[in-house]
Amino acid sequence: MANIDTKQYSPESPSMKSRMSWLWSEYSVIIAFVIIYIGASAMNPRFLDMNNQLNILMQVSIIGIIALGMTVVMLSGGIDLSVGSVLALAGVISVLALNASGSILIGIFTALLVGSFAGFLNGLMVAKGRIASFIATLGMMAAARSIALYIAEGGSVSGEVSGFTAIANSDFWIFDFPVLIFFVMAVLIYILMHKTRFGRYVYALGSNEKAAMLSAIRVDRIKIGVYTLIGTLVGVAAVIETSRLNSISSSSSGAQYELDAIAAVIIGGTRMTGGRGKIIGTIFGILILGILNNMMNLMNVSPHLQGFVKGLIIIIAVVFQKRE
Amino acid sequence: MTSHPFVAMNNIKKSFNGVPVLKNVTLEVEQGEIHALLGENGAGKSTLMNILGGVHQPDSGQIFINGEEVIVANPHFSQAHGISFIHQELNMVGDLRVYENMFLGSEIRNTIGFLNVEEMCRQTQEILAELGVSINPKEYVRNLATSYKQLIEISKALLHKSRLIIMDEPTTSLAEHEVNRLFVLMKNLKKSGVSIIYISHKLKEIQEVCDRYTVLRDGQLVKTDTMQNENLEVITKLMVGKAISQERFVHDHVYGDMALEVEGLTSAGLFKDIDFTVRRGQIVGFTGLAGDGRTELFESLFGYRKKYAGIVKVKGKTVKINHPRKALQAGLGYVPKDRKENAIIKDLSVIHNMSLSSMGNFERMGFIQDKKEQQQFHTYKEALNIKVHNPRITIDKLSGGNQQKVIIAKWLEAETDILIFDNPTQGIDVGAKQEIYQQILTLAKLGKAIIILSSEAPEVMRICHTIHVMYHGEITASFTGEEANEEEIMHYATGAKREGEKIG
Repeated sequence: MANIDTKQYSPESPSMKSRMSWLWSEYSVIIAFVIIYIGASAMNPRFLDMNNQLNILMQVSIIGIIALGMTVVMLSGGIDLSVGSVLALAGVISVLALNASGSILIGIFTALLVGSFAGFLNGLMVAKGRIASFIATLGMMAAARSIALYIAEGGSVSGEVSGFTAIANSDFWIFDFPVLIFFVMAVLIYILMHKTRFGRYVYALGSNEKAAMLSAIRVDRIKIGVYTLIGTLVGVAAVIETSRLNSISSSSSGAQYELDAIAAVIIGGTRMTGGRGKIIGTIFGILILGILNNMMNLMNVSPHLQGFVKGLIIIIAVVFQKRE
Repeated sequence: MTSHPFVAMNNIKKSFNGVPVLKNVTLEVEQGEIHALLGENGAGKSTLMNILGGVHQPDSGQIFINGEEVIVANPHFSQAHGISFIHQELNMVGDLRVYENMFLGSEIRNTIGFLNVEEMCRQTQEILAELGVSINPKEYVRNLATSYKQLIEISKALLHKSRLIIMDEPTTSLAEHEVNRLFVLMKNLKKSGVSIIYISHKLKEIQEVCDRYTVLRDGQLVKTDTMQNENLEVITKLMVGKAISQERFVHDHVYGDMALEVEGLTSAGLFKDIDFTVRRGQIVGFTGLAGDGRTELFESLFGYRKKYAGIVKVKGKTVKINHPRKALQAGLGYVPKDRKENAIIKDLSVIHNMSLSSMGNFERMGFIQDKKEQQQFHTYKEALNIKVHNPRITIDKLSGGNQQKVIIAKWLEAETDILIFDNPTQGIDVGAKQEIYQQILTLAKLGKAIIILSSEAPEVMRICHTIHVMYHGEITASFTGEEANEEEIMHYATGAKREGEKIG
């Protein structure tokens, strides 16, 4: 607020300055993306290779799908730490269902069901139990991982139905299926957030919960919907993850996915406390993370250092957002 | 003139978001005097004091302390110059003990740097004893009654050896004997050379303790004089002013059908046995002091609070309202107080704030029709005279009056017949106030049933057909708009008088 005031009163070229700052505040993540993209192309010619580009997209698609849901959760003013564990749990149970039934459809359906049910429970805890989302989903994170480990006896389970691997390993035109699924999900979530009342309510709730409630919005139901939605998206991600290698590990699959998803959302400019942010920002946020990972691989940076760079980027992103 | 006042504020100007709040205000406080700062809500008293306390910076004007010009850049500066501010809202940390609160930020330490608890407790006890209260210094503040918290705030100011204490309505939560004790203390302080700026609405109190007064109205200095020469009526007139017509707006007209009937509404600790009715076209006012339970009453009626018992009938039908959605379905709309916290969604655009409670009106096959929203907003923009250049900007960029109109538009769009306004003109400048009143009257003429909650008795007296006065969660008196007078209302609002029979 104060910032805007001073800008209005500053005599030197106010229109130019305010236009620049508007451009920056609306599109900072895209500008950052372009800078990083150009930098990456300059540093390593292999980066621009078509296969490499498609590879980046493939690599970010799973986290990307989860990050879409995370954007919605964070816009509502919450957070979901359980996504990685729920992905493992949904993967393990869906492989068991797949093997038992021999039907790919039942396998997919099971993953979606497990994901959305875990999300629904998170939503219940947050909305009806009035537990802080951080705590509720932290509990779910531990519990879901534990159940996955118990069911799979600490190891991996593998699919025994032929054709299941086709989901993640086929392509259409030049795009891999997971990338297409990510795109479709992104469009659907975009429409949901900007063209339906659910999206409007999520923004309202994240911005001012009491005012949203006093505007006759069923805040509890929206919250439950938000967490169920991310659960379902985690189910989708679980199907892709499982199908890619035809197996899922109860101990390591999905580990730290929540951090990457949250990082993408924050880099994308969504406010931690909710109410403000864009789906499109998250998409560019995930692409930035993907490019950085890719560049570090191409340049043979030790994988142990990649986390350091990621951490740095997140902090820089937040510092810049604070300034506007 | 060799002697100078302890504090002088000269020609202070300040505006927020382009709305002038203080226009050339001058205030002088002599050493060892109790100076009353008077004015209606929104007259600029708090802003002036916040400038003196270093919370806000003036746009122009000078401040002198002890004859030296100073720039009060932050609250620390004013504290260092012996100015203490006792706010209306208490600044206590509930999870700390009494002595810890007293010494917060200025803890006494022994030679090796550990806290000297005993010394702090001793000093705390000493000062509290001076005030005539006995509280264990090691008690947690959260366990204390509000009046004690207030006394601790005052003791804190004494502890810091303040030379000027600003008291913003310090007696609202004090019982009578505590008030008397406070006055004795204030007079003692005065004798020892401490100055006090005393902000209060209770004119009788002011006459009892204050030496001089300054009246502000709409950000302007109206008069400064010694207390002895004045009688209270004159001061009241100065505060209210004649520039703005205080004439009643309402001219009687025939009411329509019964819109809302409330019988025996009770919620433990908040309000009890509330009965009233509102007809279409009728404007019913509720007034009282802070803590009278009227906001809680209507938050319950609107379904925001769920724990209450009693019968609510809307248009003759008994309804059970346990969520604002149910209230909306029954035809109730609620324009809450504290607009920023309760009403506006600051990250949503003006248009989206308008449509928030009636999304169904703008949907086709589940998708929002932006164009329809815009057109509808345009209708309200014309009808309610909402001044906004680009309705896509976020609502927090609008002035208070225009924000309020958008909230009203929201409930009109939701087709509600019973509109509840809680403090509808809070933080709205005088011109826009008139407009809001006019809008409310127009709505009543259109057949809406209107309920207005306000802590300002003159406000409800101006626009309401019927006025209910609340005290400690009960309706203590009811008047028609014509017969009500401010003094009577104050008697019932302070619990000095109560009345059995009801009208309306």
